[in-house]
Amino acid sequence: MQKIKDAFKRFYKQPAFTGFILFMIVLILNLIFEPPAKFFSLNYLNSLFVSNTPFLLVTLGQGILMLAGLLDCSIGMQVALVNVISIMTVQEWGIPIWMGWILAILGAIAASALIGALESAVGLPSFLCSYAMTTVIKGVNVLIMPIEQGKVPKAVYKVYHNPLGGIFPTAAIIFFAVLILLYLISRTKFWKHVYAVGGNRQNAYAAGINAVGTQMKASILKGVVVGIAGICLTLMSASGNPIQCEEYGMRSLAACIMGGMGWGGWGSIGCATFGGWFYVLISNFVYYLFTWLAKIIPGFKVSSYYNNLAADVIVFLGLLVTVITNKRQRKSLKQGINETLKQLSKEEEKEDK
Amino acid sequence: MAKTGIADTSSMTFGQKVKMFVNNNQAGVALILAALLYIITIICNPGSLNKTAFGNIILLTILLAIPAAGCTIVLIGGGLDFCVGAVMSATAVVTAQTMMGQNGHFIQTLALALLVGLLVGLANGITIVATGLPPMIVSMAICNVLTRLMYVFTGGSFAGQPSPALMQTVTARYLFGFVPNIVIYAVILFPLIFFILKFSRFGKQLYLIGNNETAARLTGVKVEKVKIISYIISGLLAAFAGVIGEAYIYGARMQAFDDYGYKALLAVIVGGTSFDGGVGSFEQTICGCLLMVLLSNWITTMQFSVPVQYIVNGAVLVALMALYNRSGAVRQ
Repeated sequence: MQKIKDAFKRFYKQPAFTGFILFMIVLILNLIFEPPAKFFSLNYLNSLFVSNTPFLLVTLGQGILMLAGLLDCSIGMQVALVNVISIMTVQEWGIPIWMGWILAILGAIAASALIGALESAVGLPSFLCSYAMTTVIKGVNVLIMPIEQGKVPKAVYKVYHNPLGGIFPTAAIIFFAVLILLYLISRTKFWKHVYAVGGNRQNAYAAGINAVGTQMKASILKGVVVGIAGICLTLMSASGNPIQCEEYGMRSLAACIMGGMGWGGWGSIGCATFGGWFYVLISNFVYYLFTWLAKIIPGFKVSSYYNNLAADVIVFLGLLVTVITNKRQRKSLKQGINETLKQLSKEEEKEDK
Repeated sequence: MAKTGIADTSSMTFGQKVKMFVNNNQAGVALILAALLYIITIICNPGSLNKTAFGNIILLTILLAIPAAGCTIVLIGGGLDFCVGAVMSATAVVTAQTMMGQNGHFIQTLALALLVGLLVGLANGITIVATGLPPMIVSMAICNVLTRLMYVFTGGSFAGQPSPALMQTVTARYLFGFVPNIVIYAVILFPLIFFILKFSRFGKQLYLIGNNETAARLTGVKVEKVKIISYIISGLLAAFAGVIGEAYIYGARMQAFDDYGYKALLAVIVGGTSFDGGVGSFEQTICGCLLMVLLSNWITTMQFSVPVQYIVNGAVLVALMALYNRSGAVRQ
């Protein structure tokens, strides 16, 4: 029992705690409308993962950047870039699909590295710079693919849409594989450098860390994750669209913040995961809520605009909830400082004696 | 603007002098770039040098400078307001729907629009100050809610037009036959903004907060109050810009001015107001606005294809930021 208590106490101090609480609340809300037997059925989970894995991966990518003290609003357009390259190279050059995918992921890495270099090495304001780059990438997308077109062979996209071997959703396997990969990376020295650089670039440099190099590595890692997200999106929609997903940029930022991510140096991949899921399940819940209201209140009929409004209001409220974490963090910081001071003064007393 | 006269410039090479000028006189650089862009535009298309086009540039610069003034005030205080575009779009809808193309509803429209601006500014200010979350994220969330609200209110589309009298005060050109009447609003509003930033107690406190919030608090400045007021001013200015903006576009379009939020922010930054707060002024912002307007003017004149337009626009903005809005180097 004590062990469980201790584990909870440890978890309570984790950055991902708020994200977890928000996620649990919205999961329970979902379960009210969809009984667990149905919600956790293979079919339901499969469709949930199929349609949301691209966004969840994008949120993870954004999370990596935020830990390193950067951000990228153009991340959604980069997903569209991957989609466009993977469709057009196969269609125009007749190369095998897997080769198109590799080229597309390389495209995402190149775009990420460029933006990372502008933000980190050149030192432009992250938000405005990546916003300006959104239009550049949009232009490149439209140059490559002027109008919506293209398709993916059924045999290929079916693999993504159906559970693997009828047991486990393929999309979920991709999502968890990326998560495990990031978990492994988070145990390396590089990850410690990411936190140091995210917290304070100058101090990290003074401590002997290659600050720009670390931020560039984080950008490239994010590029890989975005590349995988783009391939998932291509498999999901099985077609090409040069100007989709733009809203992912802002949404993933909000999701990370709600997951408990601070601005650089505070947070974890868990924050991004829970934040992303919160965002996904919220729109699910709002949809159920309005369907249910239409059922029980005769004559209740609203447009999808109300759904969107309700979802955005909840997101705003979710942001407010994160304030509680901020306060708690400040409190534990204060406690830590006080304890250190007490220890110091005790040591001084000893020395005096 | 920092004075460059104190330093001894005689021993500097030409390159160093240019670098120093760029670093210390961002508004001047913005003006020079704007002039260059205008000359290039005229060389590329001599037909674009006419009275109407010139009047249009004045009109658009003033229309952008009003919300940008709000952005400047918020940025100087160390905040960030991403809502101005959404507020402008919202009050444009309010204007069209209240006026319905009839004269005699001006006061009513203005009151409603300013109410929207006040509420959004208040919501922004209070949430940002009370929560301590990054201003960008909070104002973005509020901006989303506002946009969704407008869709719910209008059902996705709306009828209505601004009144003929309002349009006369914005787009008609009485002075010399080419200066648009929107100048009237600028003559009333701009000195007021200058006064607020340069001479009022509020302005001085705002600079102090942007420079060093702790110091401001210790000297007895009510930091929270001043910050909230800065967001309210920004909301009100954006609301007003939406009203006269609707008179300019004369259409019934949702989210008509959303890109102004970003444009205004960029104009402020290009003019030389710092992202970190405490530095900047309204005259610099006006220079930045002029540059932004002439940039889009050039892109339109060149008749690029749509994707090339996107790329050129983004690339030029990145280049402008690289020219003079870089954060401190890692090595210090």
